[in-house]
Amino acid sequence: MRDQELQRILRHMPAGIATLLGPELRYGFVNEAMQALLGGNTPEGQPLTDVSLPADLREVMQKVYDSGSPFVAKAYGLPLLGSNGEEPTPRYFDIALEPLQDDEDQVHGLLLFAVDVTGQEEARQRAHELALETRRLDARLRVLTETAPQITFTVDAAGNYEYVSPQWYYFTGQPPTADLDAIWPLLVHPEDRLRVLYQMEAARKAGIGWSHEYRLRRHDGQYRWLLSRAVPELHAPDQAAYWHGAVTEVHDQRELADALRRGEAELRFLADSIPQLIWTATAEGFIDYYNQHTAEYTGSSADELGPTGWVSLIHPSEQSSAARRWVQCVASGESFDGLFQMRRHDGQYRWHIIRARQLTDARGLRWFGACTDVDDQHRLREVLQHQYDELARTNRDLDTFVYTASHDLKQPLFNLRGLFDELRRTATFDDEEHEVLLRMVDGALGQLDVTLHDLAATVQEQRQLTAPTEAIDLRSVAEEVLLGLRVLVEDAEATVNLDFKAAPTLIYGRANLRSVLHNLLSNALKYACPERPPCITIASGMTEAGKPWLKVQDNGLGMEVNKDANPIFQLFDRQHPHIGGTGVGLYLIQRIVTSRGGHLEVASTVGEGTTFTVYWFG
Amino acid sequence: MFSPMNHIAYMSRAVRPLSDQELQELLAQCRRDNARNNVTGILFYSHGNIAQLIEGDPAVTRPLFEKIAQDGRHSNVVKLADKPIEARSFPDWSMAFHPIDPEGFSALTDFFLPHQMPATPDTLSIADALLVDLVRQAVFGANTTAAESASVGN
Repeated sequence: MRDQELQRILRHMPAGIATLLGPELRYGFVNEAMQALLGGNTPEGQPLTDVSLPADLREVMQKVYDSGSPFVAKAYGLPLLGSNGEEPTPRYFDIALEPLQDDEDQVHGLLLFAVDVTGQEEARQRAHELALETRRLDARLRVLTETAPQITFTVDAAGNYEYVSPQWYYFTGQPPTADLDAIWPLLVHPEDRLRVLYQMEAARKAGIGWSHEYRLRRHDGQYRWLLSRAVPELHAPDQAAYWHGAVTEVHDQRELADALRRGEAELRFLADSIPQLIWTATAEGFIDYYNQHTAEYTGSSADELGPTGWVSLIHPSEQSSAARRWVQCVASGESFDGLFQMRRHDGQYRWHIIRARQLTDARGLRWFGACTDVDDQHRLREVLQHQYDELARTNRDLDTFVYTASHDLKQPLFNLRGLFDELRRTATFDDEEHEVLLRMVDGALGQLDVTLHDLAATVQEQRQLTAPTEAIDLRSVAEEVLLGLRVLVEDAEATVNLDFKAAPTLIYGRANLRSVLHNLLSNALKYACPERPPCITIASGMTEAGKPWLKVQDNGLGMEVNKDANPIFQLFDRQHPHIGGTGVGLYLIQRIVTSRGGHLEVASTVGEGTTFTVYWFG
Repeated sequence: MFSPMNHIAYMSRAVRPLSDQELQELLAQCRRDNARNNVTGILFYSHGNIAQLIEGDPAVTRPLFEKIAQDGRHSNVVKLADKPIEARSFPDWSMAFHPIDPEGFSALTDFFLPHQMPATPDTLSIADALLVDLVRQAVFGANTTAAESASVGN
């Protein structure tokens, strides 16, 4: 009964149990699990076949049988045939081989005991693979931490350094034996030391990470700015055990940032110091900075003005056009440029030139603008313009007055002349001296007539200065003028040579040209030397620059020429007081020539003659 | 009866481009806020650019703006204006979109395609009108000129 129960238990055990009897190892008792292991076919009394177990195992079994000492094959792999002809999967078994001995201690069989350890074996293999992978990762991590351009470190909760990467030693030049906890704080710049120690301790107490910058002494003694960042490793919530961190050198960036900050502060100071309205705007056209002076001028703060408030400072009549123009400029990128009246804090509008230009750089697109107060200049210009208009009008009035006066005086003069002639005809004068007096009165009357005529002519010329120009044949005009002066020429027995071959025509105002020729010729005749008959040459030509000139040369009295001033061209200024004339002639020529962009030159030698050269243009 | 009013204008960037669906939701949300708080204004959206002007009682608009600024759908919120006004310039809540599918939007009321936008109202001061014009230009680009006559739904 007991035996049967034992047999049933053994039969259904999950471990495989079998007895192999005799030196041929014939199947004895085989339970279900072992039967599955051996391929299912285990008729009692049959020896083990080649197919049921691998040869090496059978060899070992034979040896155990022969020697009588037990053996355990650990994690022995056996391909177990799946049911329904599936692919065999490797299973692992601890197989115990125990010799069975009879009463006389003779081996007569083997007890085969197989426990499936596939699960354990697979776990062991996985663990092995994991260990390999961990080693690989570990090696990679070490390479990374030790080659990255950063110092990495681990600090425990007490603030002691657990680990620091070799870069720390390269950077500081300290020997590998250095006591980190003692030396590190000493290498921090004295000005930063307390702050850094406090910040690290505070972070450790609070169980949080840190990020701060400080200066650390490099191996060459130079202090360099570093950024130290660390994060806590939490072993339980709110309970940090270690801090892992990295120290990066940020010296150059920091220097650069400092320089930028300094530059920006200086520029801002500059902008704030300039007595102009300076501002900057975003790419979209919203003003984001107004300088100090803007607040002083407008009486409004930057906040009050806002991104578009500047337009409300402009005179109401110009606001919408300025706003439109700005929108266009922002869209197209064109510069903004204009003259606007801008309201000062006291309500006075002052003229400003507003200019804004776009700047594109690495930081994007921005606008820079300035409003320059040109009110004083603007007003001065208005005053000057007003005065100029006034003067021009006065000048015109004067011309009119002179013309009217000379015209109006002609009639009384005519009457006077008639009365005087009548007096001379009818009255008789006994005294010889009276005859001289009469001649003098006659001469004075003649001079008065010429003066009035010249004055009228001056005004007339003045009005003709704007007359249209035409191409004029110089010879025909000169002959015309000579015809008018025929009496004078004949009286003086003068020779006049005309030489217009070099430049026969001139583009000029006809009346002006005639006036210039008339005055130069009559001067040459008037100031002739009494000792020799006058010889006058009129010539024309071109300068090297292709500008026309006209020359009138005489052999008359000549005169002193002052190089510095040209008094001979002043109105009513006369070179030879003993000779009749009004002093208007040269002044007139001067005005005609200069008004058309030319100039007059004179060369003269007293007692030999004078040469006037007219450079018509330039 | 006179009650104080102000307007607040801002520009921002959508965190990611809004779909037509999301735009419709935004429109509906604005209308709800409008009805409840008596807030009016205008909203521009195009290719991720958002700009909005809201007008109403400062006791409403200020907290509303705070809420809007916290909205996770956009970032880079830049406030451009926050100042008292005399009267509303956008009494009908309206918005202008560059929708992905203009067909679906043409049926909506109080909605404009950018090229249909009405001119900036002349009730605004010139400085404020300039602000709206610059915002419009920043959102829709330089070539979107306001149409003289609006094709508003109602």
